[in-house]
Amino acid sequence: MKKWIRWGGLAVFVLVVGLLLVFWFLFIDGIVERVIEDQGTQLVGAKVELDAADLSLIPAGLTLTGLQVTSPEEPMTNAVEIARMAMSLDGFNLLRRKVIVEELTAEGVRLGTPRDTSGAIKERVKDGEDESAGGRGISFTMPSFEIPDPKQILANEELETLKLINELKADVEGARETWDQRLKELPGKESFDKYEVRIEKLKGATKGGVAGALGGISEVESIKDDVQKDIAALKNAKVNFEEKLGTLKTRLDRVKKAPQADLRRLQEKYSLSPQGLANLSETLLGQVIGDWAQQGTAWYDRLKPVLDRAGQAGAKRGGPEVVKPLRAGGVDVRFREKDPLPDFLIRRTTVSLQLDAGDIAGNIENITPDQHILGKPLTFTFSGEKLKDLRSVSLRGVMNHVDPARPSDRVNLQAVGYRIQDFKISKQESWPVTVTKGLADLKVRAGVQGEALTANIRSNLNSLSISAGKQDESNRLTRALSSAISGVRDLDVEADVFGTLGDYDVRIRSGLDKVLQQAAGRLVKDLSAGLQKDLSAAISDKVDGPLKDLTQNFGGLQAINGDLAKRLTQGNDVLAGLLKQSVAPKALPKELPKELPGGFKLPF
Amino acid sequence: MRTIAKLLRVLNSETEPGQISLGFCFALVAGLTPLWSLHNLVVLLLVLVLRVNLSAFLLGLFVFSGLAYILDPLFHQLGLTLLTAGSLEGLWTSMYNSTLWRLERFNNSIVMGSLVFSLAVFVPFYLLCNLLIRRYRAHVLAWVQKTRLMQMFKASKLYHAYQSISGFGGPA
Repeated sequence: MKKWIRWGGLAVFVLVVGLLLVFWFLFIDGIVERVIEDQGTQLVGAKVELDAADLSLIPAGLTLTGLQVTSPEEPMTNAVEIARMAMSLDGFNLLRRKVIVEELTAEGVRLGTPRDTSGAIKERVKDGEDESAGGRGISFTMPSFEIPDPKQILANEELETLKLINELKADVEGARETWDQRLKELPGKESFDKYEVRIEKLKGATKGGVAGALGGISEVESIKDDVQKDIAALKNAKVNFEEKLGTLKTRLDRVKKAPQADLRRLQEKYSLSPQGLANLSETLLGQVIGDWAQQGTAWYDRLKPVLDRAGQAGAKRGGPEVVKPLRAGGVDVRFREKDPLPDFLIRRTTVSLQLDAGDIAGNIENITPDQHILGKPLTFTFSGEKLKDLRSVSLRGVMNHVDPARPSDRVNLQAVGYRIQDFKISKQESWPVTVTKGLADLKVRAGVQGEALTANIRSNLNSLSISAGKQDESNRLTRALSSAISGVRDLDVEADVFGTLGDYDVRIRSGLDKVLQQAAGRLVKDLSAGLQKDLSAAISDKVDGPLKDLTQNFGGLQAINGDLAKRLTQGNDVLAGLLKQSVAPKALPKELPKELPGGFKLPF
Repeated sequence: MRTIAKLLRVLNSETEPGQISLGFCFALVAGLTPLWSLHNLVVLLLVLVLRVNLSAFLLGLFVFSGLAYILDPLFHQLGLTLLTAGSLEGLWTSMYNSTLWRLERFNNSIVMGSLVFSLAVFVPFYLLCNLLIRRYRAHVLAWVQKTRLMQMFKASKLYHAYQSISGFGGPA
């Protein structure tokens, strides 16, 4: 036995394990720091930096100091900066590879702080390009307040009328060529004259006795058949032609109406209609609310992976579940646990948010990507009072992904007495609008169920002072609008955001529309009528000539129809003459012999 | 160069074939399975406490760690098949609820696959190594000593390194 045992080896083992532990104690803080920075950077898409990490074993805990999370959109700004973050960990579960944070306290949390160096990462540039290419969100374009020159409009625009005229003209010419060719092939005067000659010849041939009489009957029948065939061909051609003519006439009628359609289209595009004015508040405020909605959904997208691992893993309850780890090889297979706990859970987070306006305190409960295992949703509550530019604010929300197939997230925000200062509503050069000062009360209720997004925003703005337009404004319309909006002191605004996270719309109702319509409605109507008149004249100038040519081309088609009718009349006349002056009865004897010469019997 | 020299020294020394073979077998387990696994601490303890040839273990560890990169897809398949086998679900579930086994990370497909594979071939590999070492010493060594290549090798730096190492590994 002694031959196989090397007791000195035990001491070496203890030494090796001891060295490993010493290494762990010396370097684990640095390793944790590096892991947090790397993983955080990967998750956020911009640099995440940490001054120090301190991991303690008894009691199990982790303290992070100087955490900076760069805003992916603004690399020189930190989206969040946290002075100190202390976590108490569940040591026993840590051995089971589960990170359960019993309590997390974040102190000195500040938003939007400036950075000394850029926090952009190379990969993010590509991501950013992709996002901008996706073009999510909505945009509201201010209508043009300039009255454009009709000639300039027509120089830039293609008229649908001209397009239709050219198409129809080509078709009319094509039809005329086709029918000219077909007329040559159809029986005409020459053919019917030949029938007249044959009839005349037949009259002479009836004097040849019985044989002559029989031959006459046969010839009469032959001519009758030929004439009837020709008449049928002419009738058929006339029907075809009239069908074609009818189609072309319908198109001509459409062409005649096309200038009106062009006028309407161009007027809608280039003039401010009274309807456009009615939606001006939506145009003004919609961009602001749309931008908020876009920021909200962008942050929601970023948070979603933190909330929703179950959906990604395609978890099934009961049996083993294969979960792809973030790193390392192979896959981890999960089995049913007696007391199931998520792999990562922060039971309670206490946050003290330091804003320029003052401090906001709050807490978040049950942060985990595996709510379906925990069976509890994430909830958060933040509130602050007597802030610098805000009397009070409260934010409450529930992010319920307990049933991964039916996630439901809700958030309520209420702000009272928010002091507005130099807030630009419209940055557009044609009509800039800024709220220089005012007070606002705001209530926001937003929810996401699956992919469906709904939000309702109600705001009461009072003690307003609004500046609008430019100093040396020459445009009568913007002058009138600026004057009207500058006089607004109180305003109620209600907005609804609805749709899906990827494609949503904003509807806004406010008293602003009425104010603007009263101030500028008459003016807009007059300007719009003037533009309509000028534009109509300009379109007529451009369209009347080609339309006249087209009508003349139709005259050629009418001539073909006349020719066909004339030929048909001639054919009918020949047939009528043949029937009326039928040679057969006169040529035949009153009583026919029973037998023909040669012993042939007559069939009647 | 020193490691190769040590191996040659070990192979040609009076060190028992069983001790060299055991070194290779432990290296098989530690090399094929992920290094930072709990069971490798046990392997380390056994390698140090038992009179296992350390040179053979270290060389084997180097070779089998490299081999593991190639065999990982195979281990993943094997591990996943075992972990998702319905008949074994009860066993895995009870192990999953044990902290010790969770530390071992048995539920990872590569850990499971490589561990099962290395344990399954442990004994056959031990016997094979023993046989090969004995045959090498009996038949090949004398012949190798006489070859021109060996003569050239004896004149090389490697051989001098080999010569300079004495009393290495295993019992004296």
